[in-house]
Amino acid sequence: MEQVNSKPQKGFSRRKFLARSGATIAGSIALLYFGRSKIRTGLSQLAADAKFDAGIDDFDPTVWFEVNQDNTITLRSPKIEMGQGVFTGFAILAAEELDVDVTKIKVVHASTSMGPQSTAGTGMSNSTSSLYTAIREVAATLRETLKLAASKSWGIRVTSIQTGDGVATSGSRSMRYAEIAKQTKIWEIAETPALRQAYSFRMIGKEHKRIDLEEKISGKPIYGIDTDISGMLYGAVLYCPYFGGELKTADTTLAGKSTDVIKIIQDKNWIGVVAKTRFAAEKAMTSLKVSWNFEPGYTTKDAIDAITVGNGVAVVMQDEGNATDELSRNVLTSEYRTPIGFHASMEPSIVVADVSGTSLKLYTSTQNVAFMRQSIADQTDFKEENIQIIPAFLGGGFGRRGYKHNAVEAIKLSESVGKPVHLLYTRQQEFQNGYVRPNTHHILSGKVDTKGKILAIQHEFATGSMAFLALPMAKPIIGADFLVAGHGARIAYSVPNKRTKIWNSDLPFQTGLWRGVGMFANTFAIECFIDELAVEAKADPLQFRIDHCGTTELLQRRKKLLLKLGEKAGWKAPKADTIGRGIAVCEDRGTISAAIVEVQIVDKRIKVLRVAQAIDAGLIVNPNGVRQQMEGATMMAISASLYEEATIENSQFEQTNFHNYQVAMLKDTPHIETILQESTDMPSGVGEPPLSSVAPAIANALYNLTSFRLRTLPLQAALDNYYQHSE
Amino acid sequence: MKINLTINGVDSTFEADPDMPLLWLIRDEAKLKGTKFGCGMALCGACSAHVDGELVRTCSYSAQMAHGKKITTIEGLSGGANRLHPIQQAWLDVGVPQCGYCQSGFMMAAAHLLEENSNPTEDDLKNSITNICRCGTHPRILKAILLAAKLQSNGTSK
Ligand code: FES
Ligand code: FES
Repeated sequence: MEQVNSKPQKGFSRRKFLARSGATIAGSIALLYFGRSKIRTGLSQLAADAKFDAGIDDFDPTVWFEVNQDNTITLRSPKIEMGQGVFTGFAILAAEELDVDVTKIKVVHASTSMGPQSTAGTGMSNSTSSLYTAIREVAATLRETLKLAASKSWGIRVTSIQTGDGVATSGSRSMRYAEIAKQTKIWEIAETPALRQAYSFRMIGKEHKRIDLEEKISGKPIYGIDTDISGMLYGAVLYCPYFGGELKTADTTLAGKSTDVIKIIQDKNWIGVVAKTRFAAEKAMTSLKVSWNFEPGYTTKDAIDAITVGNGVAVVMQDEGNATDELSRNVLTSEYRTPIGFHASMEPSIVVADVSGTSLKLYTSTQNVAFMRQSIADQTDFKEENIQIIPAFLGGGFGRRGYKHNAVEAIKLSESVGKPVHLLYTRQQEFQNGYVRPNTHHILSGKVDTKGKILAIQHEFATGSMAFLALPMAKPIIGADFLVAGHGARIAYSVPNKRTKIWNSDLPFQTGLWRGVGMFANTFAIECFIDELAVEAKADPLQFRIDHCGTTELLQRRKKLLLKLGEKAGWKAPKADTIGRGIAVCEDRGTISAAIVEVQIVDKRIKVLRVAQAIDAGLIVNPNGVRQQMEGATMMAISASLYEEATIENSQFEQTNFHNYQVAMLKDTPHIETILQESTDMPSGVGEPPLSSVAPAIANALYNLTSFRLRTLPLQAALDNYYQHSE
Repeated sequence: MKINLTINGVDSTFEADPDMPLLWLIRDEAKLKGTKFGCGMALCGACSAHVDGELVRTCSYSAQMAHGKKITTIEGLSGGANRLHPIQQAWLDVGVPQCGYCQSGFMMAAAHLLEENSNPTEDDLKNSITNICRCGTHPRILKAILLAAKLQSNGTSK
């Protein structure tokens, strides 16, 4: 489609869309600048209920779409495809309103110079939900705009034109969208029409294959790491492996000897090499002789001590009834812990920087284009408008590509040689110089009354922050990170007295987003403890949960989902004594997710045999995509629950590669069943919620099998520990 | 040194450090980007390719070792443009990839496994393929390899 002269007219989507996006976190923070404890509690509740904005304010269809000559339509996505299938979801939404087949929509990433920009980045499982209406509105507007152009060309009224299969028709006349686009020089943007009603959906809710399969089975160069531009050289950077360390001495003689090495530059806490090949760059990097200034001696134990309830800044996140009084005596109290975790995306951080004069091009894998651009403008002399970012497919995101890219180093290296430089983290750097999921500590106390109902429950937990790495300005206002690390920490069940309190401490290493954010750790602790209370009440764990689903819409949906899962997965079916069965459920911004797990212990090793996952994510755009996310989340959850743990010795992470950071493999694959329940008329997230219910369901299944409770992740290590002490 | 390779049927000569990992030769010199870097220590399998019919983790296999040998990468797995190897066909039918980054390596490992064992059980797959996928495509990978074995024995792939 060619340049548009007329701007979107009044009444166009933008205002409508913004009004729909509800309370945003930024707005809430600004509103409650003077953080006192009551206000913080209120703010924390507000944040929990907030729907996230997509962070987009340009809804001109010609910015989003391009009609191609082969009658396909290109959609420029403001969200990044990191494996979650967002391109496919968007294609389905656009196809629905554009009256074309899904396969006719080609989705590409918007870059900073082309296409709609999102200031919100990609994450929080919100890509499809936050743009569900917007993309359809823009697509419908494009359809009407095409009809308007056809009506002018034919000299007839627009109302007499129909569309279908990429063709506009009126009586015997017809024109393909491509022809309309070709002959239209000046576009008049139509008013946004009413959207198609759910009962008449032809694409939404049907089974669709991903639209990016062909590239991905044939090895096409679609990832950031695949960037290869003319004249490009290779960089390698040596970073300090110790927390907060700085470069003390450096001897580059040996490294500089290779004829393939072009440049070595030294910064405050890193040394960079540029060479003709990656091998030469990395070889030079490993032959650098350096020493570091750092505070030695920090260990895992120090991180555990720091993250312990009672330390740091505290905020009460929930206070209903009078839990403190009810829990003054005769209570059940348990402690849970979760470890530090890596993202371990298969593609390490990668940036190709191409500096020319005052302008800069960056080819990269990032979850947040706008944020990256802004932060680079802050850290370098490049003006934001001179920075162009060309995002690629991500070889996994999981929260790791939100920030802390190696861009600044790549830029300095490129500047130093006047050529583009390809800079890749090694796996060791990805582990030791990225950021991590913080460890957590949870103390839960509760009391069950004579009728078997929970009278009171309290969840106090300690954590490092997840939000402050990206939003340091939020720290003095909100005190503790109840926004992100505290996500999922509240007690959702209907209980008369309940209280939740976060304790947030600083750690000497960087902590940030991880798939599911706080949900993962908080759900583990809460849902295991609910199981403990069910034992107290001598109740069936599934029935016990159902009995505490009150009358709110979300809890009713939870109840319905639990009933359905219990029935489909055979909760009551007989099983062998050698098999343990457990259940857990969680809720994440409108999505309910529940899992029933069956486990076995074979030669002291935990084996997950079966996982039945059920989800209620509102309206389902692509059942195949939802199932894929549920399967993937199940595997990542098994990995994180059974094996994953980063440990610290002498102020550095001990894990350097996959040999000492075990992740789930094919052998760990259980039989997975997926159960979908549709409820509301809007989609909610599916990428993260199914991850959180698995860890507690496994732990509960292990209790069911063994009658002893493991309260620390990873569970395999906890079991090993148990055997050691019981022998 | 001069390294002679036949990559996907094409003879090529490169001037390279003899110790350079084959992976970088394939990616940066031969410009075939389907073979991926994930760990650099033969732990994840993202860099898997076939060298004289053997399954090799190319990040840990030097250029001089590869000298004179026949390399097949994901780009050459099907043996021709517009064709699909049964593994690729099964991968499409089952809809395996998520982010897709690990998939070339898995497909190369799976294709090699089928050469050695044309009728594997699920346990065979679980015991012999040790690649890493972080997105959790494992259940679909298992399904796709079993399907590919069927496609292959029926001769139904393109
Ligand atoms: S990159 Fe070669 S096995 Fe991981
Ligand atoms: S599909 Fe993403 S790592 Fe396997």
